[in-house]
Amino acid sequence: MLSSRLCMGLRQLESSFINRQLLTTRRPATCTFASSTDSEKKYLFFENKVQDLLKRLTRKDVNKVFRKRKDGEKVEAAVYKFMTTAQLEEELKKADLKADELLQMPPVVPEREEIDEVLDKDEKLVGLLDTKIIFTDISLDKTDRSRTIAVRDVDGTLRLATWEERSRMNQIYFPRPGREIWVPHVFQDEALQPILERKDYEFILNRACAQFEPDDPDYIRVTTKTYEAVNSFGDFDLLRSTRHFGPLVFHLALTKNLDRLLIENLETDRLEDAAWALQLYNILHADAKINHDYKRGAELEFVKAYIDQCSKDNSQLELAYKHCKDFLSSPKSAAVA
Amino acid sequence: MAWVSRLLSIAQPFRLATSLALPTTQTRNTSFFTKHTAAQLWKGVTSVSNAGRKRGRGKKAGKKMIRDLNRGQVIGVGKVNMVWPGLTTNVIRGRELVEQQQLPPDPEREARLLKLRNALGPFRRLKLSPPERGWSGNRLPGRTVGPPDPIGDEKFEGFETVVLESKAVTNMTGNLGRKRQMSMFVVTGNGNGLAGFGLGKAIDGKASLKVAKNRAGQRLMYIERYNGHTVCHDFFAQFGFSKLYVKKKPEGYGLKCHRAIKSICEVAGIKDIHVKVEGGSSNIQSVTKAFFLGLLQQKPPEKLAEETGYHLVEFRKDHGNYPTVIASPAKVSDDTKNVPAYDEYVMGNRVVLQRKKFPPFYVGTDGWELHLRKTLKYRNENDVRIKLRTAARYLNTQPAKPPKRPVTI
Repeated sequence: MLSSRLCMGLRQLESSFINRQLLTTRRPATCTFASSTDSEKKYLFFENKVQDLLKRLTRKDVNKVFRKRKDGEKVEAAVYKFMTTAQLEEELKKADLKADELLQMPPVVPEREEIDEVLDKDEKLVGLLDTKIIFTDISLDKTDRSRTIAVRDVDGTLRLATWEERSRMNQIYFPRPGREIWVPHVFQDEALQPILERKDYEFILNRACAQFEPDDPDYIRVTTKTYEAVNSFGDFDLLRSTRHFGPLVFHLALTKNLDRLLIENLETDRLEDAAWALQLYNILHADAKINHDYKRGAELEFVKAYIDQCSKDNSQLELAYKHCKDFLSSPKSAAVA
Repeated sequence: MAWVSRLLSIAQPFRLATSLALPTTQTRNTSFFTKHTAAQLWKGVTSVSNAGRKRGRGKKAGKKMIRDLNRGQVIGVGKVNMVWPGLTTNVIRGRELVEQQQLPPDPEREARLLKLRNALGPFRRLKLSPPERGWSGNRLPGRTVGPPDPIGDEKFEGFETVVLESKAVTNMTGNLGRKRQMSMFVVTGNGNGLAGFGLGKAIDGKASLKVAKNRAGQRLMYIERYNGHTVCHDFFAQFGFSKLYVKKKPEGYGLKCHRAIKSICEVAGIKDIHVKVEGGSSNIQSVTKAFFLGLLQQKPPEKLAEETGYHLVEFRKDHGNYPTVIASPAKVSDDTKNVPAYDEYVMGNRVVLQRKKFPPFYVGTDGWELHLRKTLKYRNENDVRIKLRTAARYLNTQPAKPPKRPVTI
């Protein structure tokens, strides 16, 4: 707190200096990414085709999107209205748009790299102060990511703030609801485990979205762990029709781990979903594509091609495929349809 | 008289001896206690003067009570532990004749008698446990008195009755003059939509309660509820001068209403409601009748939709205000200009006056402003304290501990 208070006074003194420095030195990109093939593939998340597939896979179900939420707010008396059919349709359309908003997927981006940029070193300042001073640009036109934050260390070094310092300063000046200055204990592995065991996936994912930036290593660690837990227990239905289902499928397709999802799809009569997931797989792994020309209505063949060409441990998947095929060819399924 | 003097001379030394050993005591065979009867004596101890009674003395707890000193005494049983055949035992036991005999003394008999006598201490009011208590003190209104008596096979299982009103009423008759009766007004219900009320009168309180309870059991009404927890919609109801503004409330709201209405809701199975009573709120009978009238006149959503010719749509905040169609009419009107407002429609076009809530008198005073200024810096203290308590369990980004100062000698 001391440093932040000092900041207000000292900001003016040093700001001109920093600006000069920034003009002369190369302005570092606020997010620089580790470059590896897997993390480059993560950018495919923003492709229109991928977004479209993920949205379709999410399966918007208004009953689940608008289910009763116990979010600590006071429950108010229901409001009733008399409406004509046109008015009702208008309201339903509005609710549909709102559902889309609620189902907006948190972005999947590669992990960020630590900021390590020294702006200046002044030996004369050694011994002047016994704490760091942080300078935060709080002008209104800056965002949390574009804001310049610099630190004068005790040894006289003036450097750009690290990500951890940035997030703390941003939270102090521009607090976001649901975010804490110190990362809570929930995200530590030993606390995360019981949450995943009791299948509170949506809770922890929502909490992680509120606490972290999407390229934070902690965010990626927490979400990956949750997605792995969902995959190992086969609890896809718990996340379906929530905003986390898209990133979950994206993660599974990226790590070539789609078998459990396909089994679940085949067992619960979601052939179309299986085909979409495989289409996503094809986009993400252009080098290891499934050699099949998919057309609507030929989902089973598409899955079969995946089993033959790409699946790792295909005994269970093959069994599910066989059951599904038998069911579809039996007269029972016609009766169900 | 010579023998008398002789006798005296013989007795003299003896008399002298006794007078030295035993001091003479005065004995009187009459006293205050022997002159009065037990009833008179007890009255002297326990009664309160007329003036005192007018002041309410002798009514509270701790009042002296008449003790029955013969309590526990049995004819034929005394200090000497005797067997009296025909009095304390049977004459013949088995085939043998019981003999009159003395048993060894029972040392505990005296203590037992004393204990029994002292058990009847000063006057204590009947103490009820909090859930058994009614609205106020030991009085009957608000207390539960069990289900109505069974009629044939009908056992009234799961029913509970609550007394709403208990009062003494009088009327004048030709030959008896002022005739006094107890009047009881009760409501009974099974907590699941069935409820009825009844009025009973009798000279005795207990009898009137029974009459009222059984009458209520025979006049049961079915009450429509929304999801089994509240009324179907807001409504207005009136009986006599008692006007009720009833509001439907979400789950967990509770019963915020007149105590009589609260009791009715409890027995009828309504869990969440808000009622404002205007006018005669002390006339419990008309409040009850107004409430029952309103409950019976509720309209199901299908009827509301059919009457107006529009869809009835529900928006719930905890469901993200998603429009849910509750009921639709057979033929939907498409006149958007004359769509009735739901709240006004169900209240019979009555608009409830929403009084403005004024801030407390101290807001704006110098002292209040000073208090606000003084406590401003503590506004987040509790949250911060809680966070700091758990700080050690945060990730490695936790606040750094201050360095330990070196110990100087």
